Amino acid sequence: MYFSSINLGQYYPADSIIHKLDPRAKLFVMLMLVSAVFPSKSTASLFIWVLIFYVLAKLSRVPLRIIFKAARPIIFLVAFTFVFNIISVLWLGNILNALINAVFTSSRLLILMMFAVMLPLTTTPLELADGIESLLRPFEKFGFPANECALMVAMSLRFIPLLMNETDKIIKAQVSRGAVLDQGNLLSRIKAFFPVLIPLFIIIFRRADDIAISMEARGYIGGKGRTRRKPIIWKYFDTLAIFITALIVSLMLLYF
Amino acid sequence: MNLSNGKAQKNNNHLIEVRSISFKYNNNARRALSNVSFFVDQGERIAILGHNGSGKSTLVKILGALLDPDEGFYFIDGQNLKDINPKKLRSTIGMVFQDPENQIVAAMVQDDIAFSPENQGLPSNEIQERVDKALNATGLQHKKNSAVHELSGGEKQRLAIAGALASHAKCLILDEPTAMLDPQGRLDVENALKKIHSNGTAIIQVTHQIENFDDIQRILILSHGEISWQGDFNGFIKNSERLGFELPDAYKIGSLDINYIARNFKGASNQINAGEKIKSGNEFEIKNLLFKFGENKPALDNINAVIKKSQWISIIGRTGSGKSTLVQHLNALYKIQQGEIFFDNMPLAQHGQDLKSLRQKVGLVFQNPEEQLFSPNVHDELAFAPRNAGFKNKELEDAINYSLDCVGLDKNFLTRNPLALSGGERRLVAIASVLACKPECLILDEPLAGLDASYQKKILELLKSLRDSGRTIIMITHDLKTALNYSDEIMILNNSKLVQIDTPENVLKKLTEILNPDVLPDILKISAQIHELNRDFPLTYDYKKFMSCISQV
Repeated sequence: MYFSSINLGQYYPADSIIHKLDPRAKLFVMLMLVSAVFPSKSTASLFIWVLIFYVLAKLSRVPLRIIFKAARPIIFLVAFTFVFNIISVLWLGNILNALINAVFTSSRLLILMMFAVMLPLTTTPLELADGIESLLRPFEKFGFPANECALMVAMSLRFIPLLMNETDKIIKAQVSRGAVLDQGNLLSRIKAFFPVLIPLFIIIFRRADDIAISMEARGYIGGKGRTRRKPIIWKYFDTLAIFITALIVSLMLLYF
Repeated sequence: MNLSNGKAQKNNNHLIEVRSISFKYNNNARRALSNVSFFVDQGERIAILGHNGSGKSTLVKILGALLDPDEGFYFIDGQNLKDINPKKLRSTIGMVFQDPENQIVAAMVQDDIAFSPENQGLPSNEIQERVDKALNATGLQHKKNSAVHELSGGEKQRLAIAGALASHAKCLILDEPTAMLDPQGRLDVENALKKIHSNGTAIIQVTHQIENFDDIQRILILSHGEISWQGDFNGFIKNSERLGFELPDAYKIGSLDINYIARNFKGASNQINAGEKIKSGNEFEIKNLLFKFGENKPALDNINAVIKKSQWISIIGRTGSGKSTLVQHLNALYKIQQGEIFFDNMPLAQHGQDLKSLRQKVGLVFQNPEEQLFSPNVHDELAFAPRNAGFKNKELEDAINYSLDCVGLDKNFLTRNPLALSGGERRLVAIASVLACKPECLILDEPLAGLDASYQKKILELLKSLRDSGRTIIMITHDLKTALNYSDEIMILNNSKLVQIDTPENVLKKLTEILNPDVLPDILKISAQIHELNRDFPLTYDYKKFMSCISQV
């Protein structure tokens, strides 16, 4: 019924070459890996992907336990795929085939997700935002506010958990005043939510106001002229990482 | 006031000086500030004291150049604010506000501290240097790689201070920086400020409560938008009563020779206080209650407690000790996972009609309840809970009038918009909205937080009269002094476990054992120091009892 504190900042600090990679490079690497896992067809290829994932995890110095924990919400999706696959294939063929197919599809999805999870684990929200900003910078010529967008992304990562807490508190308070939020038809449910939505909006607006003031007090006057504590700088190493990944990916696609 | 003698002697300039500042909000007849003048020198620490509505926050915004005064001048380093470029301004003054959540913009600690030097456009190595320095000054080095949401309230506020320091501010301006913190968090912030001041940063602290202001050099009192008094700390202590501020007990007592008292104190005159067991029936009986969020370690670990009817129980414990989780079990906001709770000797209702009537009998007032108001007028707000409980027509109107009466607001409040009321009035309306169901047990989570002395007193009197009329009051609070002085029993939670539940007299020993001495109420702290040297000297929180013991020496 209530929101639990959902953890958006999954970042796991460690001193590893993966952590040090340029966020843009990491984005490309992940995209390549993820899209290469998709078409893999054989058991052998899946096995090699697991091996590659293991090497990557070791290089990142993020304990496997942490990675699995971060990937936990995805397990549900994998299980769903598994069941859905069995059902859909059963329609057509025999049980054994259905089972094999389901195992195959869901483990592919699992590996794919494990790669994807490595990105937020090894990259702080701000780095990620900075990476996205610099990828969007070419569009600034057309008036696209890349810097403001990046700040917006970074700030929402900071404030979404906070607003979840606020929402949780308001829901509880109204429920304890006897509000019934989960009964009746759609219209009465929507109406029942006003006592939650109104205070939430008031809180959001008031917070936004206060945050704007304190940002001004800290000298924020827009993206122009801002520097970075950790500017993202493309290094040889990043190019190398992309090159290696490209090599692995093409080998995998060609031979497995 | 010592005005600077022209441009030639630059060193004579005050770091910050305001002259005859006035300000009026558009829709207000009265001026929020009128003719305010004062100065702050390099490295000085001053406090601006004022009750709610005295114009403090407006003054803070003007000092932070976030609001332009209607009249008057503002000089920084002898230069008119109008002639200072924003970059220089922001690297001279740093601001810290009451709620740290609204000041922290990044999700990670270091990224947030870097925000202001990044805005100044500094090279990255210099930014990192400043971040490290600020971490050091605020004692947050061990948290430098943490995510903001993992920090406690006190740590968040220190992070906000670090963020302000990183601009290389010569002067920090703080608006009630400790108002939302628990005693330990408060102490940590105070210690950080002392360190920052000793490093040569000027500090202007705006507050409505006097705390341990050992290193404050000057105090200014703001009332009704004017500076009504200024002087040094000793002068303030002598005049505090006339000025309308209550002194912390430690200052009322003055300096004591603890060793001398311990050596010469004879006999424990009126120490026996046990035996006075409460006879009323059980309101709640909690047995082996265990609760976990997901698979984490328990938030409540095997709690066993009895809460008597018509008593005032205060629950104390550090943030995260399980206080809120426990009370939210009492009206079944959390379902029991393991263990039992009895309400009125019956198993606590968990669903259906029984649950509905439970929520009517056990009212819960959340922290900052004024944030949950949503109706266009006070009448509708007060009608919300009783209407949900099935009250109709005359019964409903009676409930509304009764609740308004309870909190001491008159009838013309009914048509007013809750958002247009003052903070204290809103808090009263929020409490009334729970009282409207005529609950037999009222649970309040930090009902005094953020209120000034007069509203705190009002709410305490209200709770007292509710208790005297037979209601059970369960109050979570950080304010030990209030808890000890007002409650019949104190429940101490620590690390999800129940430490003790007993009368205030009987929990004193435990309190001195588990808490940092610096967060204890003054009287208890001093009596504990003497008790340490002479076991005959009683532990006490009571001013009169303490003074009578002292007078025997």
